[in-house]
Amino acid sequence: MLPCNYACRSTGHTVSRRGFLGSALGATAALGLGGFANPVSAAELNKSQKRVLVIFLAGGVSQLETWDPKPNTDTGGPFKAIQTSVTGTRISELLPHTAKHAHRLALVRSLNSVSDDHGIGESIMLTGRKPEAGINYPHIGAVSAKLLASRESALPGHIQILPKGGSGFNGGDATFLGPKFASVSLGDGKPPADLFRPANLASSADEEREAFRRKLNDRFAKSRKSAATEAYTESYTQAERVVKQAEVFDVEKENPKLADRYGRHDFGRHLLLARRLLEAGVTYVKVSHSNYDTHHENFDFHIEQLGEFDRPFAALLEDLADRGMLESTLVVVMSEMGRTPRINAQYGRDHWSKAWSVAMAGAGIKGGVVVGKTNANGTAVADREVYSGHLFHTYLRAVGLDSTKNFYPNERPVPVADPKAAAIEEALA
Amino acid sequence: MLIHARSFALVAILILPALGRAEEPLRVRIDKHITNGASDYKKRAAPLSNDEEFLRRVTLDLAGTTPTVAELNDFLADSAKDKRAKLIDKLLAGAGYARRMAWHFDVMLMERRPDAKVPRAEWELYLRTVFSANKPYDAFVRELLSTDGGDAKTRAAAKFVLDRDLEPHLVTKDIGRVFLGRNMQCAQCHDHPTVDDYHQADYYGIQAFLNRSFLFPNAQAPTAVIAERAEGDVNFMSVFDKAKKQHTTVPKMPGGKAVEEPKTEKGKEYRVAPAPNVKPVPTYSRRELLAAAITSADNSSFARNIVNRMWAMMMGRGIVHPVDWDHSKNPPSHPELLDELTREFVAHKYDLKWLVREIALTDAYQRSSEIPAGLDDAPADRYLVAVLKPLSPEQFGYALMQATGYADAERDALKKLGPKATEEMLDGKLAPRLGPFRSILGGKAGDAGENFSATLDQTLFLKYGGAVRGLLPPRAGNLADRLSKITNPDAVADELFAAVLSRRPTADEMRDVGDVLRSTKDRQATINELVWALVASAEFRFNH
Repeated sequence: MLPCNYACRSTGHTVSRRGFLGSALGATAALGLGGFANPVSAAELNKSQKRVLVIFLAGGVSQLETWDPKPNTDTGGPFKAIQTSVTGTRISELLPHTAKHAHRLALVRSLNSVSDDHGIGESIMLTGRKPEAGINYPHIGAVSAKLLASRESALPGHIQILPKGGSGFNGGDATFLGPKFASVSLGDGKPPADLFRPANLASSADEEREAFRRKLNDRFAKSRKSAATEAYTESYTQAERVVKQAEVFDVEKENPKLADRYGRHDFGRHLLLARRLLEAGVTYVKVSHSNYDTHHENFDFHIEQLGEFDRPFAALLEDLADRGMLESTLVVVMSEMGRTPRINAQYGRDHWSKAWSVAMAGAGIKGGVVVGKTNANGTAVADREVYSGHLFHTYLRAVGLDSTKNFYPNERPVPVADPKAAAIEEALA
Repeated sequence: MLIHARSFALVAILILPALGRAEEPLRVRIDKHITNGASDYKKRAAPLSNDEEFLRRVTLDLAGTTPTVAELNDFLADSAKDKRAKLIDKLLAGAGYARRMAWHFDVMLMERRPDAKVPRAEWELYLRTVFSANKPYDAFVRELLSTDGGDAKTRAAAKFVLDRDLEPHLVTKDIGRVFLGRNMQCAQCHDHPTVDDYHQADYYGIQAFLNRSFLFPNAQAPTAVIAERAEGDVNFMSVFDKAKKQHTTVPKMPGGKAVEEPKTEKGKEYRVAPAPNVKPVPTYSRRELLAAAITSADNSSFARNIVNRMWAMMMGRGIVHPVDWDHSKNPPSHPELLDELTREFVAHKYDLKWLVREIALTDAYQRSSEIPAGLDDAPADRYLVAVLKPLSPEQFGYALMQATGYADAERDALKKLGPKATEEMLDGKLAPRLGPFRSILGGKAGDAGENFSATLDQTLFLKYGGAVRGLLPPRAGNLADRLSKITNPDAVADELFAAVLSRRPTADEMRDVGDVLRSTKDRQATINELVWALVASAEFRFNH
């Protein structure tokens, strides 16, 4: 990346965090204001808050083994295409449970995402932009957290659940929107560090010391105040509210019958955790499912991986619908790229960005539609080619935002979505 | 409300610099500029800080930590008229000064980058040596920019360049920002669209000093050194230029003269010719010119930038603010002041300690941070009231160890060594504990800590994290231990507030402490958590 910042936003002085928060006192420290100490019921949230769930099939899922099968062609591989709940729409037989929900899905089969590189591809898919010298665009998670943040939720607005690794804060994915909207990572779904009160601190003692701290702060604030001191004191209030909801992060609290439908494997647990978080008012959750980079044995791997994906994904759509959350939650299944129609000598498929598919469901999405198509053996887009920029506009529109607006870091306009693209109207309800 | 004890620092008699009509000491002239910078300044400005406020502030600024209870008591008991000036001198002469400056310059120069080629321990030792010796700033920067990393004795100084992997755009951009106060990032691709003084040619003029340099044997080797070829020019074109005209430039500082490059005879380009596994040495080196060009007296941005950055360190904001945004459309808050400071700093041979001392002696620095009743509008850049400064992660971690008595306990343990025990040894024992504070409070790579944040992870870390909680329970000689041995609640409050907040408690606070202690079933646990409450207060988190 060449850091040439067209609109002059170096991380250094762009979003001076303070400037970004505005000079208004009472700048928020972590996330939204206002106060619900208890998890809000889904019904209440529905009225006020749109949410986004991205399921990221890391490594590059094969469009031919999922949303755009080409059976009985030189590129199609061994699997059949099966009927779905939408007459005339067929998907791969590796997704039998998902097929029952096709009437909820909009399939985009004509995506050209331009890059065959894992890192660049991921950035293109999550920012809706091709890499540009000098500016790093925020990820859809940060954009969602910023533009959709509910005033009710104390929880972070931007969470990603990763297959492995530690849990931490402040990914670099919010760029000029500032750390407030950067992702909180939950490695293997583990809660953030220090979320739970230490065993040797009684809750009464915790409350007592907090009360003492607040008194001190009130006294200090009588004669000394700045946006930074306000943010600091506010951050404790926020943290306290998150701590009160800490069990949202614990999937063991879920009814075992319900939990079993998600499967007793990592991805199932992670997807269930995502549902809990969304239900508790988190604006954006991304769940990654890994091992789709199938240069070898593409077909065996897809049997295995999609076997893990299919059932919990269907369970999730059911749960969201049952809880009345589907109309307010946009669900996107994406990867950083697709896989080559050509099958290589190791029965694998390689990196491929020219013609592949993404699935969407939920908020603002017209279910049962198929956008665009590829040619007979999937080697090129035959109709309605779209880029990641079109998808980005579509996500924003689906959750009720005007995707032609600007951000103003450092008082210079930066379009929220790529102005060279537009929303895919036929996928929008 | 606290009662302000106005104190009158004696006018220090200075050796007058050769430049300017220096009939008055610089600190007096600084205050005149500040006074002239706002209407009715004297009427509206806050009074001077009281002794408690001043002691804590200046100890944090000049030694990187909070005062001990003994230092607080001594200072309050001292009735000398010039006790503030004496304290400033004592701090500047102490070991804490190099510690504090090493932290500050580490972040300024390296911006929380993870170690790449130069290990942190060597780098910190080098910085401490620089500031212990009060090495003139220009000489210091010449070391940073001329060392090639080949000599183990001077390798640490090459960290600025080495740990940026000599990545041409990154090094160019950061030289502009860190040493010249000019963020010329945009000028990489085109003249700045809104800032008339940042030109693409300036950007590439800086880059031309380094465009022939590369890491030898390769950029990945942890032991890599900087080598140079004898040829190569920088070429650039503006992304706005439809004609795509190519430009080139020789090495040149922004606004300075172009370097006249010698014609090298064919066949004599190298002193050591390039060959496999051989580090080439060109006859004419562009890179060797960089340190001299940047620190040259003709390059006025160099001194102006550091003066502005030191002012920001002491005063909470730059005269040019943000500190890397020096251009005509973002004028300094007090232009004459910045010019005068820059001139004097050069006349004083780039003496950072002298500059810090002059600023610390001013009324502007010593003003109270309490907003006077009736002052509704106090723009930060007018210095009517002292600006609140968040503690850096290092200051916070260190002050926390001081406040909770962890440092006292370690100091006592060291005393067994007799006269061999030094403050540096104590630092060596405490330093490893700064790690978590740096990683949680310090922001990501590239973050120079110029903006305050209070994110959820930071707050959870302070609330429940082991790095903080581990310091609370009693341990021989620490604060919780001392407090548990005091029976009178008022005396507990006194010791508690002195140790953590470096002041006496108010009557209300005494009563609150008394109430909590009288009603508790577990006195020790309550004491531990009282310590936490003070540590977690905004008053402790900020230098006020």
